[in-house]
Amino acid sequence: MAPTPPTDDELNTFIRAHLASLGIDLDQLPAGTAADPVTGSPGRDSVLASLRSFMRSTVPALAEYQLPTPGTTDPALAMALSQQPAPMLYPSISTEWRTS
Amino acid sequence: MTTDNALDQQPLDRTIDRRAFLARSAALAAATAGTVVLPGLAGVAVAAPGPASGPAAARFNPELDKPAAYNKPRADTMSEPTEWTVSEAAWMIRQKKITPEELVKAYLDRIAAYEPTYQAFNLVLAEQAVKAAKQLANRPHRGPLHGIPLAIKDNYFTEGVPTTANSYLFKDFVPPYDATSVAKLVAQGGIVLGKTQMGPLATTRATTPNGEITTVNAWTPTNPATNPGGSSTGTATAVAGRLATAGTGTQTGGSITAPSNAQNLTGLKPTMGRVSLAGIIPLSYTRDHPGPLARDAKDAAIMLMAMAGEDPADPRSEGLPPVPNLINAATPRYEGNRLRMRWKTRIGVLPGYADGTSETARARQAFLAALAEIPDATLVDVPYPDDWDLLTGSAFNNVRLPERSEPFMPYLRTDLKGFGVSLTGWLQGAMLGANAFITGQRAKLVLLERVLDQIFGKCDVVVQTSPTPFDAIGLPEIGFPIGFTAAGVPIGTILGGLPYAEDRLLSVVAAYQAVSDWHWRRPPNPPAAGGAQARTAAGSRGRLTAEEVAELSQ
Repeated sequence: MAPTPPTDDELNTFIRAHLASLGIDLDQLPAGTAADPVTGSPGRDSVLASLRSFMRSTVPALAEYQLPTPGTTDPALAMALSQQPAPMLYPSISTEWRTS
Repeated sequence: MTTDNALDQQPLDRTIDRRAFLARSAALAAATAGTVVLPGLAGVAVAAPGPASGPAAARFNPELDKPAAYNKPRADTMSEPTEWTVSEAAWMIRQKKITPEELVKAYLDRIAAYEPTYQAFNLVLAEQAVKAAKQLANRPHRGPLHGIPLAIKDNYFTEGVPTTANSYLFKDFVPPYDATSVAKLVAQGGIVLGKTQMGPLATTRATTPNGEITTVNAWTPTNPATNPGGSSTGTATAVAGRLATAGTGTQTGGSITAPSNAQNLTGLKPTMGRVSLAGIIPLSYTRDHPGPLARDAKDAAIMLMAMAGEDPADPRSEGLPPVPNLINAATPRYEGNRLRMRWKTRIGVLPGYADGTSETARARQAFLAALAEIPDATLVDVPYPDDWDLLTGSAFNNVRLPERSEPFMPYLRTDLKGFGVSLTGWLQGAMLGANAFITGQRAKLVLLERVLDQIFGKCDVVVQTSPTPFDAIGLPEIGFPIGFTAAGVPIGTILGGLPYAEDRLLSVVAAYQAVSDWHWRRPPNPPAAGGAQARTAAGSRGRLTAEEVAELSQ
């Protein structure tokens, strides 16, 4: 059973806590939604809204992605076989590796 | 059976190129333990980043000095040096019909008249450029870039010259050495005319760090609402507006091809690693591609040949195939008077690419028809690979964001406002966990293999409807002009190629440019304006908010 999606307040707490653990303090930004008049940097509430949206879209989409296996693969084996494809930071270079 | 051959007595570890092995094994190590080490940034004590970094690595490359690199200018441009392409200016300089100093001054005259309107530059290095031009007059000829004035995007390090990336964070940064690619251009005789405006930290179209629109499209200089393309906006406007002969850009998500398309230029985003990133402020370690913005395929080839090649300061550039002669590749091939493709080439057409009746669709239809008429070119329909929309969509594209935030952690911890309107993407990157990052790297290889199998199994080059997919998987792309709207705004398109297929892409565009004339068209001069007056009016051109920048971000 899927967990209950976090509320706005829960996400706000998580975002602030996660950033704080990295040493990033959102209180550097102006309160509310208005941008800083000099630097144009966004207001704190605008940032939180954007990050909540990000956490509800990008993060789950990546989390639920299961790497594909060859088309004829028995579905019962798919989860185990999905672990096989390796990560590659520089995929274009990898093509050279495989031909050299 | 064994032999006494001396080589057989060698342990295997002595037959491995240690540096190449390091480069090739950097991938997962970097993904899990940090990033590939690059030269230091602002505030970091900069040691020499490699055994031969920056200028020390830049050697004169005689391969550029080929007959095909020089073209006599068109008759109707003889009195207008700023109209010339690199290859035309190179012909005039080599023939001693103009000096580098005269060419530089011709551009400086236009900069004095029109830069207040265009706002293409952050910094014009007038005295330095004239001095370099005078010095070149007394030196042996260095090839087709000898004495050519170049516009350098302001995220490329230039020794002793501020390099700001249009960001508050780098407003006081003066690099201690040149980017390797800048050093290479200078080693070939290129002259750095100035540093160009860009989207803040290479994100959007050029604005000030707080979002005020600066650079305009050279084709609509009085209408700042016309998108000039970004983030290499200033370079594009400088080259299109005849303030420089050619220039450099960087591309992570369309930042070379988009401004090239928007301003009637030929821009080449090479294969990942083909040009060293040493000495370029990073936006992503796996997707940043330095490359040229130029007026035609030949000029793009000259520029890329100068910039490309192995650099010990950037492991991503090592262990790749040698750079072929791109200048020859960008030279149209004729049999008698009949133009032919340099190589038999299948041009892949993705579903929907030229459908409809819009101006863009009609330009695409005409472009494909023109290609089909060239002997040895064949159009073939190719499919979108499986899961294309998912694997090239926003979630997987966002995997690039931790690469953005990680090198900027010292700034994120101390100066959030310093990011100006660009901040949001950096905070998103900080929120994305390593799990997601690894998933993205695995999916990227799946996407690459599907592109290689399902698209390139049927063709040699393929049209693109967005630069982003090939940016993500590091494949080369070339943007070039294919027409104009009724309002006189350029229409461009993009072709993508196989790994290291810059020569093939250039050959196709060179052939198309031999049967079309879009690339010869130049925008009319803008109304001249007083410099100070125009500069102070910059804020009136509009302002992007942080939310808009996040939406548009490369």
